[in-house]
Amino acid sequence: MRRFLTAKGLLGAALVIAMVLTAIVAPLVIPADYGTRMTMTARLRPPSELHWLGTDQLGRDLFYRVMLGARTSLGIAGAAVLMSLVVGLPIGMAAGFYRGGVDNALMRLVDTLLSFPVLLLALTISAMLGPSIPNAIIAIGIAFTPFLARIVRGEALRVTQMPYVEAARAAGATDLNLILRHVAPNVMPPIIVQATISLAFAVLAEASLSFLGLGTQPPQSSWGLMIQASRDYLDVAPWTGLVPGAAVAITVLGLNMSGDILRDVFDPRTR
Amino acid sequence: MSYIFNRLLSIALTLFLITIITFAVTTILPGDVATMIMGTQSNPEALAGLRKALGLNDPLVLQYGRWIGGMVTGNWGQSLIFKVPVADLLIQKIKASSLIVVMSMGIALICAVPLGVWAAVHRDRWQDGASSSAALVGVSLPDFFWGIMMILLFARTLGWFPSSGFADPSVSLEQALAHAFLPSLALGLGLMAHLTRMTRSTMTGILGQEFIRVGRAKGLKERTIVWRYALANAIGPVITVAGLQVGYLFGSIIVIETLFNYTGMGWLTYQALLNRDIPLIQATVFVIAAVVMLANLAVDLLYMVFDPRIQLA
Repeated sequence: MRRFLTAKGLLGAALVIAMVLTAIVAPLVIPADYGTRMTMTARLRPPSELHWLGTDQLGRDLFYRVMLGARTSLGIAGAAVLMSLVVGLPIGMAAGFYRGGVDNALMRLVDTLLSFPVLLLALTISAMLGPSIPNAIIAIGIAFTPFLARIVRGEALRVTQMPYVEAARAAGATDLNLILRHVAPNVMPPIIVQATISLAFAVLAEASLSFLGLGTQPPQSSWGLMIQASRDYLDVAPWTGLVPGAAVAITVLGLNMSGDILRDVFDPRTR
Repeated sequence: MSYIFNRLLSIALTLFLITIITFAVTTILPGDVATMIMGTQSNPEALAGLRKALGLNDPLVLQYGRWIGGMVTGNWGQSLIFKVPVADLLIQKIKASSLIVVMSMGIALICAVPLGVWAAVHRDRWQDGASSSAALVGVSLPDFFWGIMMILLFARTLGWFPSSGFADPSVSLEQALAHAFLPSLALGLGLMAHLTRMTRSTMTGILGQEFIRVGRAKGLKERTIVWRYALANAIGPVITVAGLQVGYLFGSIIVIETLFNYTGMGWLTYQALLNRDIPLIQATVFVIAAVVMLANLAVDLLYMVFDPRIQLA
């Protein structure tokens, strides 16, 4: 725990907590139409007392949009990582625990999936399913699964050979019991680290998908979509791109810092 | 010999699996070629006729067999949006993209290795903090955000480079490099940040080892120790990570080429996905996955060149 209490760890955690709170609280306190209400007389206004972060090309308030966008962006990223955990954990666990043929077959599949760039896989799945929020979650979730499965497998392989697992097996524990009570709890630390880093990449992937028009669809607000919309107005209104860009950067930075510190805490080899 | 044989066998198997996954993703999911060609408003009878003519009612195994057969014999089909053979299109676009892939990798390595070494040598001092923080910010911003900022600064404000488009190197090399520079820089920055972090952590580990202390005790100059002995040991892992990032690069070029309207492989993939040009999607996805797999193989072989201690097992 002490190791987490560094400037980097605290700052990272603070940024993540702030963003998560924004994602949860913003939709509760900001009326939904604030993010979509257009004021044609107040287009591309710079930040002012009335519009803290300025307005976009349709006169929508960027402060409200970026706050409401937090839920879309973090929600998609969080759900996608959760999905990759739900699919990747059993695959990796089975491969690492049973070894032999099961391991060979599953890891061959996982390694092949790793040949597909994450973004390419996510874009292809999203394009084929049709762009929408649930499909973006599925696309990013599938694309991230092989990474998690690989790490779970490595850890499960290591833990399964530990004397305490051997002892439990000798005492007559069933496979399911061994996996749930002895192996799973001990493979969790590196998986928490990987999930944190995956979350950072998932936020970036969601932004890329929405930026290319294959993720969140208007009028929903998402950071990638906001950056996309700002492209034509950057010369006259740079804040329209800088505000959502900064939101992505702050979130990913916080997640990366937390991931770095968590790795130092959990992985003695890098100390 | 048996190593090479096993390796080749494994490549063949992986390529086979890549074709299955590519085919599965593009065939099982909703949306088919017939609707693509005729549009959603077309006559249902004509649509059914076209489906039959294209063999879309055949069992999946047969469809897959036909696709693979075509791939092996060089008949990669016709692009639905560009109305030209997919193979011709791919060759042309791969050439365009290889320029920015090589340039971005070059930019990343040239900047990342010295920066990472600098941080490792000054471990836990301000130099380390500065370089590590810059790298952390670098990996935290999406590439397209860098791209937009570069267009704004180098193209619109300073006017040093064109903001979009592609120029053929065989017509004018200078123009080609100018058009490729900003996309390469946008791609290279994110990569550079990853590699700086990697170089730093590898170098930190190596500088703490016994042989470095022996070198110091022997009175070798610090510069010789760092650049000649430590870096020689660190470069293997760094090259490995750089090679593994080829996959990341091929994902990112889709976004970057689209942003810069640079008509290469990434741009082509995006056009194919956006218009659901299934024959083109299948070919681009397969080619990219195969290139990434071969790049990873090349990295393994290169690793042995950089680290002679590693033997073919």
